[in-house]
Amino acid sequence: MISVLAIGLVLATSLVIGIYGVRAARSTSDFLVASRRVSPNWNALAIAGEYLSAASVLGLSGLLLKNGLGTMWYAVGFCAGYVAVVALVAGPMRRSGAFTVPDFAEYRLGAPRLRKLCGCIVLVIMLLYLVPQFKGAGVVLALVSGTPYWVGVVLAGMVVSGSIAAGGMRSATYVQAFHYMVKLLFIAIPAVYLVAHAGADLRAQALHPEWGTHFAQTTPVEFTVDTTFGLDDPVTVTAPDGGRVDLAAGDHTVSEGTRYVFPAGAAVPHPEGLPDLGGERWSTPLLNSGGYPLFETWSTILAITLGCMGLPHVIMRFHTSPSARIARRVAVGVIALLGLFYLFPVVYGLLGRVLTPQLVLLQGTDTVAVVLPAQAVPGAAGTILTALVAAGAFGAFLSTSSGLLLALAGGLSHDLFQGSVPRLRLAVAVGACVAVLLALPAEKVDINVLVVWAFTVAASTFCPLLVLGIWWRGLTLPGAAAGLTVGAVTATGAVGWSLLLPTPQGWTTVLLAQPAAWTIPLAFATMAAVSWLTRPPDWAEHAVLRLHSP
Amino acid sequence: MSPRREKLTSPQTRIALARGNRPAQHLLPIPEPVDTEAARRLFHRQRRTAARTVGLLSLLLFGMSGAFALWPQLTQARLAGVPLSWALLVAAVYPLLFLLALWHVRSAERAEEQAARQAAEDTTAEHTTADGRDSAEP
Repeated sequence: MISVLAIGLVLATSLVIGIYGVRAARSTSDFLVASRRVSPNWNALAIAGEYLSAASVLGLSGLLLKNGLGTMWYAVGFCAGYVAVVALVAGPMRRSGAFTVPDFAEYRLGAPRLRKLCGCIVLVIMLLYLVPQFKGAGVVLALVSGTPYWVGVVLAGMVVSGSIAAGGMRSATYVQAFHYMVKLLFIAIPAVYLVAHAGADLRAQALHPEWGTHFAQTTPVEFTVDTTFGLDDPVTVTAPDGGRVDLAAGDHTVSEGTRYVFPAGAAVPHPEGLPDLGGERWSTPLLNSGGYPLFETWSTILAITLGCMGLPHVIMRFHTSPSARIARRVAVGVIALLGLFYLFPVVYGLLGRVLTPQLVLLQGTDTVAVVLPAQAVPGAAGTILTALVAAGAFGAFLSTSSGLLLALAGGLSHDLFQGSVPRLRLAVAVGACVAVLLALPAEKVDINVLVVWAFTVAASTFCPLLVLGIWWRGLTLPGAAAGLTVGAVTATGAVGWSLLLPTPQGWTTVLLAQPAAWTIPLAFATMAAVSWLTRPPDWAEHAVLRLHSP
Repeated sequence: MSPRREKLTSPQTRIALARGNRPAQHLLPIPEPVDTEAARRLFHRQRRTAARTVGLLSLLLFGMSGAFALWPQLTQARLAGVPLSWALLVAAVYPLLFLLALWHVRSAERAEEQAARQAAEDTTAEHTTADGRDSAEP
């Protein structure tokens, strides 16, 4: 109940800030980029607030619990992405005067038709990114209020599109700066409290995965899907009718809806296809879901680090800086804010393995940050901590999805159709509806899988366009179009295939699930090769030099 | 009869109305009279700085993950109870990323300042030869 109140409070405050900012939103330029009147500090806070999505707040600790320490490479990649932004795009993009990536394409290559292609890619990236945000909101609301998952998703969609359509980016800047604070404090305070409250014994257990993972207390587990799990030692569990079931060591398959009560101290079973909780694969800090840890880790690092600069809503943000110099400095500020935040999710994952290992059996690890405080600290304090985390997670969802929806609306109305403010508002509503419809069947897909998919598409399309467009005068229109098409098709197709269709075993699985390591070089190579075969226009060098003159 | 009412609009509104539904002309025109040689030099210098930063970033990220793969001992070795590789990945890497970005910004800004100073000097020199007197303002 307190959690619902806390979420309501975050929401109400966001709406008040949003409505307060409405007066300033008059022209398309005001609506999209706040007319460049936002101060650098607010801007850095807002960028960080917008960027820290449900993937960071819920997804990281959940995946850490499920797959192990390698998960933290996602966080490092999210942060390192801004180093690439500082080095490669922040200053020049601001100097180009372009609002969006499609704008930049038009500036640099002088072709309105390329703008439409870019607009379509913006839509793909934004939808892939929005769906996991709505999923996160649905999961949190379902958990704290007991409503069904779909109610949470629909409610979240209405709230976000309502507040954005009312205020636009001007208000979003302050709303998102406020959300960074909400996220940092509401994740950090419970984390620090949990670490302090846990005691030396529990902390040592969290840091020594080799001691094994056991149920902390008598734990009922209801399997929501058919599950196969392995047991190292025999264990006697209790069925709902009170009967005792002896499970021998070895593999067991239970059907959907089975309820077992595991006794305190029993070793946690290993679900099929996942690393042993606390085992060697779990505690080695590499991403390893298919047996090729180094390839998977490197591919993911590439996707996230290079994908960051291609995210349309990130790029858009730098135009709220008054100059290229300040745009770069803002990006450095963002790195500091992100680094600070990413110190905390790891606490939930590590303590979660000791206190709430059953989430792995329930396939609900994305909820660990919300479930853990109540398990670790009984009574009123635990309830309040849960409320804080839930509100923080909802804040994460709100700010990211409002930024994403705005970029999506911008893509729809600014790039695909030449639009005005009313049409932009309609575009926000349409975008939210599509994202909600797609989020409804995505309840069981990990938040981070979807987010990395969005990053992979961005890294294979807009990253080569921006990097080559800014740093190489030889880029031509046919080259850019060919590279964008190849990158978009391979990156979207490969991950889509691995999620929706059966894949062959071995290397192919990894190449399809983590395609960044080949789609990014392929997109770069296509863009460069086709550009070499064609001639850049005479003014190409001027267009490039303009981006670098102070 | 009172004089005909006249509609007063601000210059901004007139521009916006005249533009109609076409996209805003916010894309900057490419200025013609620039010192192309100087701009080229600055561009190449900035490109080297960017390449250096991206190279160091790759070294840090790929090197660290490569080290974890090569030496599993990094997970067994402990620093104040925390496995060394965990400490590197969850905390130590962020200050390094921050410093790398800070260094890049310093270098890029220094390059811009030097280019601006150079341009100012060139103008001064031109004025001195043309007018026979020293003038910082062109």
